[in-house]
Amino acid sequence: MNARQIGMKIVWIIVVFSIGLVGFFIFSADKGDGLEKTMEDAGVSEGEPVYQAPLSYGEDYPSAFAAGVIGIIITLIFSLGLTYLLARVGKSKKSKVRDVKGEKDNGAS
Amino acid sequence: MHIPDGLMAPELLVFGWVIAILGLGFAVRAVKSKLPEKQIVVMAVVSAGIFAAQMLNFPVMGGTSGHLVGAALASIIFGPAAAIVMISTILIIQCFVFGDGGLTALGLNILNMALIGSIVGYYSYSIIAGKHEGNNKFVFDTKGRAAIFAGTWLATFISALLCALELSISNLISPSYGIAWQISIPMMAIYHVLIAIGEGIITLGIIEYISRVSPDMLKVEKIELWKRRGEVEC
Repeated sequence: MNARQIGMKIVWIIVVFSIGLVGFFIFSADKGDGLEKTMEDAGVSEGEPVYQAPLSYGEDYPSAFAAGVIGIIITLIFSLGLTYLLARVGKSKKSKVRDVKGEKDNGAS
Repeated sequence: MHIPDGLMAPELLVFGWVIAILGLGFAVRAVKSKLPEKQIVVMAVVSAGIFAAQMLNFPVMGGTSGHLVGAALASIIFGPAAAIVMISTILIIQCFVFGDGGLTALGLNILNMALIGSIVGYYSYSIIAGKHEGNNKFVFDTKGRAAIFAGTWLATFISALLCALELSISNLISPSYGIAWQISIPMMAIYHVLIAIGEGIITLGIIEYISRVSPDMLKVEKIELWKRRGEVEC
């Protein structure tokens, strides 16, 4: 997948997200998820967060859309960086193992 | 299903962190040794898509809503080890950037959604589909589709039951934490029976769609947590 194809896929995700967000605000924005509803049924409220995050998902369509786009881009960059790093570390480890094995084989012969 | 701060007993939070670090470490080890470079970009794009999908709650009966967790989806496509890394990455971003899920509860959130969701999703799918030999074959017959739906349903439902159990144990440790089991277990079970159906339908739809527009994406190597019998490391 080249840079253009990645860009196209991300644009496609953002377009689907922007349409899905309309449905979210029409049908579900005022409804808690399963855990939140269970907490509500039991009369338990959320505690004070120990960490204040810099962003939130937003209360209206424009802010939620902006938060979503920011999140999509952060997730893409962070995932690319992390998996690339893991693949590089794994590759260099494998080549080191092969070098040691080769040296051993040369020594034995 | 993102657990906030202050809900669970401290003992449970510590337990969650320990299991999450161990599980994530195990998954990272597997990914590091088996991840093909050509798969990196595809995994990142799917992770971004799962992040977006997690923001889109769908309505469920009883005045509640649910959203895709994506662990079963990621594990069926990429294998459980890769899925654990992907979903944990999303949970970490949601916690640190958007304050979704408490920082102290991040370990439990990784345990419930990333670890249990991925492991239950992948292995129940594999068992039902009967795909023990072919590592990267998707068969879109009735059994294959049923396996995707059932694996996803089980992953979501068991993750939710585990969360309910954690709420109950927290409440038993101290009544100021968690929710009594008489409420938490039946309520979480009832809501997530329905939410898991939504997750199953969405996951099946996404995999069907990918199989039509980009079938190569489904032929990637599945990164498992451990070697299967007879598998030789190259």
